[in-house]
Amino acid sequence: MQSHYWRNSKIVEALRKEKTNLENAASKLLSFAMKAGAEAAEVCGTYTQGTRISLEKQDFHLASSGQGYELGLRILLHSKQGFSSCNSTEAKELKAIALRAVEIAGFSPPNPYYAICASDNVPTEAPSDLWDEGLHQVSLRTQKEWTRLMVAEATKDPRFRLNEGSVSIQSRLYLVMNSKATHKIEKETVAEWNLMGMAVENENITSFDYFSELSRKAPAIPEGVISSTRKFCQQVIRNLKNGPAKSSRGIVVFSPRAVVDIFLAALSYQLNGRTLVEKTGRWDRGHIGSQVLSEKITLRDMPWLIDRTGACIFDREGTPTKNVTVIEKGRLKEFLLDQYAAKALDLCSTGNASGSPSVVPSVAPHVLCLEGGEDPVDSVFKTATSAQKEFLLVRRFSGQVDPVTGDFSGVAKGSEWWHAGECCYFVRETLISGNVLDCMGSNIVAVSRETETVDSSEQAPTIATENVSVTIA
Amino acid sequence: MKDISARLQKIAQSAPHWTELRYQKRRSQSLQVQKGLIKQAKSNVVAGLGVRVFVDGAWGFSSTTDLGLKGIEKAVKDASRCATELSGFVKKSGIKKLPEVVLARGEFMLPGVVELGNMSLEQKLATVLQAEERIRNCSSKIQSATCTYQEFFEDKIVVTSDGAQALSCLARNELRLTAVAAQQGQLVEGHHSIGRTGPWECLFNPNAVEVMSEQTAKLAADLLKAPRVSGGLSTLILSPAMVGLLAHEAIGHTVEADFVLSGSVASGKLGKMVASPLITLCDSGKVDENPFGGGDILVDDEGVKAGTTVIIGNGILMSYLHNRESAALFEVEPTGNARAWLFRDEPLIRMRNTYIKPGNTSLEEMIQSTDDGYLVDGPLGGQADATGEFMFGAQKVQKIQKGRVTDLYRGATISGQAFNVLSTVDALSKEFRLDLGSGYCGKGQPAKVDAGGPYLRCKAIIGGIQK
Repeated sequence: MQSHYWRNSKIVEALRKEKTNLENAASKLLSFAMKAGAEAAEVCGTYTQGTRISLEKQDFHLASSGQGYELGLRILLHSKQGFSSCNSTEAKELKAIALRAVEIAGFSPPNPYYAICASDNVPTEAPSDLWDEGLHQVSLRTQKEWTRLMVAEATKDPRFRLNEGSVSIQSRLYLVMNSKATHKIEKETVAEWNLMGMAVENENITSFDYFSELSRKAPAIPEGVISSTRKFCQQVIRNLKNGPAKSSRGIVVFSPRAVVDIFLAALSYQLNGRTLVEKTGRWDRGHIGSQVLSEKITLRDMPWLIDRTGACIFDREGTPTKNVTVIEKGRLKEFLLDQYAAKALDLCSTGNASGSPSVVPSVAPHVLCLEGGEDPVDSVFKTATSAQKEFLLVRRFSGQVDPVTGDFSGVAKGSEWWHAGECCYFVRETLISGNVLDCMGSNIVAVSRETETVDSSEQAPTIATENVSVTIA
Repeated sequence: MKDISARLQKIAQSAPHWTELRYQKRRSQSLQVQKGLIKQAKSNVVAGLGVRVFVDGAWGFSSTTDLGLKGIEKAVKDASRCATELSGFVKKSGIKKLPEVVLARGEFMLPGVVELGNMSLEQKLATVLQAEERIRNCSSKIQSATCTYQEFFEDKIVVTSDGAQALSCLARNELRLTAVAAQQGQLVEGHHSIGRTGPWECLFNPNAVEVMSEQTAKLAADLLKAPRVSGGLSTLILSPAMVGLLAHEAIGHTVEADFVLSGSVASGKLGKMVASPLITLCDSGKVDENPFGGGDILVDDEGVKAGTTVIIGNGILMSYLHNRESAALFEVEPTGNARAWLFRDEPLIRMRNTYIKPGNTSLEEMIQSTDDGYLVDGPLGGQADATGEFMFGAQKVQKIQKGRVTDLYRGATISGQAFNVLSTVDALSKEFRLDLGSGYCGKGQPAKVDAGGPYLRCKAIIGGIQK
């Protein structure tokens, strides 16, 4: 088994070469930009190599491999900003995008809040193990074995239909370098597996459902693939038992995935420093320290949770990341900031500059975590049942969340209808509507102690809240 | 381009397995303006080659940015290795060899590439600044406005070992407008967008910027005082943009052959009545009645010419959407729906311009003959499901009472089961347009699509507030 498990040491050497190429290209790009007249310049670059095995229609479908660079250049000139990017490390191409960025800055109106700054060193307590040499060197054959485990598990019950899925492995170098002496490089490995499917029994077809999970450590992957696929298939098959919901307005319970899809999406916008600068959110600086949501709500951004998709030790501008408590017991503590928002507000960046090298940095949380409450999840359902004999448990949401108003409206997918404290069946063609800020404010009824990680990213508890409309045909 | 094309052809001809080589270069630029300032101006260039190899029923894929002979040969070798590695694992039910089909050869140019490319970025910026300023000046209630212009130019070469050799060029442009209106601590957004394939004039015909800016500002200001709609099964008159979403989300996805093979609700329904006889629904690479469609392509990413496919003809399900592999499985001709977003993505079955054909009544007549219902416009996002259950968002919902349009309500979600909803259609207008705006479809990778139709009257669920 081990004989084909690892590739050979040439791979390690090849990656060293790519790291040197990436750093050289970034240095050249900075130099071209400064020679072209930039007053300050910043390069964000990646080198990515990966392999993926895809499944389609219950079967293996495609194996793929690829590698490539991405380089983005941001420059400042007389308080004007220019940005350009490419996927080449050739000097001719780099020179062209440097000139383009300076040209764009030339006709852009000035903005005093644009900033390219020297960044602090990453603190020693930051995680250092986003990289697993073993995972980096996994062979295509081993990857195929892991995918076979997924297929075997997904085809055990003929009622489950595997529409598509994949197991991918990626190694990535991420670099931020600027003319103020910032030079940071991070390397990460990640294996990600996902599956989309439905259950079919005679004429009865369930909704599509999906899951995605990741691991940064090779030894954990086979068991992870089997257990997550098994859990997912069982959940989808349960959906075959279906029945009608009832139109109502009252208590609705939201699963951790629904909490992420609806509530965290809107809160991310409201807590974004750029929203504050642009005055397009519900809260301003005067709200810091005041009660803006229910005291049951504590929300943190935790970029150092290394088993999550957004984990990182420095952000898109090179600023070291840190855990940021944005809401504590319903009180607004601080906003998420990049250098632009920080300068506009006369504050310090929280390390939340975000985006790939091909886009201008923006603000986003890395790994949002909504803390659990005091009650076990069973008592959340008991509380909902005692207030209302029947209610909807929203498992997944497909719809619109208006981040500005907080209004949401959409279809409750794979969701359960509860009666007298028990799940009776799964509902279809059922729409829900409400307002995020009301749901997370005075309308909140209960928050579970237990939390779940959704798609290896955000974390949330189960929440029961009032004043949500349920509509059926 | 021709140098690369010749190099690719030479490699494809000597490949031991069926091989597809797809070169792509995309140059994109975008400008985003807010409060009179450029919030974002950026330029991006990506170029590279995607290689697909088919061995005994298994696909291998590899991509590279090294377009030298050695780089291309290595990518072909990697793709072959991937396909060979999988070939023993693929079950016998699939096809082992792609059948012969008519493949595209030659140059396929859509209009606008030169005209749009020759315009300076400063000229384009001036229009964007003007649009954003106009929104802010439309109403004292407008707190902020954002205007985003984006364009991309795409050169592609598709060469296959069985004879395709297609070189294509196109230019796409799009404009997105957002107005935020504020009153007594309440904030509401209004959106408008337009997306085309073609020259500058197809996006900015005379007065178009002024009209779009004013409509966006007015919508946001009007929505400030609008209540939320009461939910339930209702009679709806959908605008061409909303009909586009219905055609794309509710039907289009369920007839993509890969979904059909997984057991979508359209499976086994070919030749059956699935909609009102008023409904003829098509997907096309270029719509004659509506030039410059946002999803225009002349040839797909497998080198198949992109014609028009009648999916539903007078209510009967006529065809699914195919790539070469699914067409072989169904023993039909491919429909030119294989599309990849970038060279590093493998082609998937995707829609292009999806639309319902117009009828012979007018919007006014449709409103006058509606006793109780809603006029729905302003597409937001949408999603489809294997069950045919769809949902899409609308930002503008107006009540129709006794043949007249009355109150405005805030955005809502429309849902239903696709074929059931299409069976309730009882009126289609003469007015017709593709109007999905700057919409993209997501299916693992993005695809630029367009969709539209006439005004259409049907019954569906509108999600709202219960009393």
